[in-house]
Amino acid sequence: MTKEQFLSKLRTSLRKLPANEIEDIIQDFEEHFSIGFENGKTEEEISASLGNPQQIAKELVAAHHVEQVESTTTTSNILRAVWAVIGLGFFNLIIVLGPFLVLASLVLAGWIVSVAFTLALIPYLINVLIHPSIFDFYELFFAIGLSGAGLFIGIGMVYATRGFTHGLIRYLNYNIRVVKGGLKHG
Amino acid sequence: MNVQFKKGVLELCVLVLLEKQDRYGYELVQNISDQIDISEGSVYPLLRRLTKEGYFTTYLKESTEGPPRKYYALTADGRTYLYALLEEWKVFSNGVNQIIKEGVQND
Repeated sequence: MTKEQFLSKLRTSLRKLPANEIEDIIQDFEEHFSIGFENGKTEEEISASLGNPQQIAKELVAAHHVEQVESTTTTSNILRAVWAVIGLGFFNLIIVLGPFLVLASLVLAGWIVSVAFTLALIPYLINVLIHPSIFDFYELFFAIGLSGAGLFIGIGMVYATRGFTHGLIRYLNYNIRVVKGGLKHG
Repeated sequence: MNVQFKKGVLELCVLVLLEKQDRYGYELVQNISDQIDISEGSVYPLLRRLTKEGYFTTYLKESTEGPPRKYYALTADGRTYLYALLEEWKVFSNGVNQIIKEGVQND
């Protein structure tokens, strides 16, 4: 691969990053090539030892997305970051996607339970308004109790969700840092 | 060494190389690839990440042979991080060496 081919492949794979960041990255590799020339290496030799530009770009993009989650946590940011880290290699498909799906389902289930419990009071009251004859204190207190429990679960879920997000960011960072990279034939 | 976890070691190598002196990217890459078989390009994402995390600062310096070069310098945070990683690495590699030694003796 020539220098031009290497840089243009890199640039294409980086297109989702902010323009100034792309320029900065390209600059680093331009510098690498020019020092390589000074040391008597050819374009082909240099780009061969640099490795696959697409894989290099993947690492840069994944790091960028995880960084985005750290500054602004939104659901789409999280999904983008998880997706980018998974894209780093097949190994990550197993060790990132699995735990993510399990934990995300648990968090979602917790929220559904909380909302269902809290809102249970409303259909009960509507029902009593329509058929006053079925009114019963035991059922009323049960519905109120359920609502209260729902609210408490909701408060718990706020903390659980926060903990989950925080843990996820750390786990993604750990993945970028440690798993699969710098390998020649990986 | 064909392992998944080479990247963690790469980070340690870069930090160690910057401990005594500031270096430019190409220099860091060459120093590492002289010793370990790596895809040289993967050092640059690492350098960017550690810079963003505040472990390095960078500056441009004129070169006698060509365009200015981007130098990386370890910050105080980077130094603390280096020593923590180094300690972890020593414990880890001593453990592995011990296991290898005992394993070889038992054969």
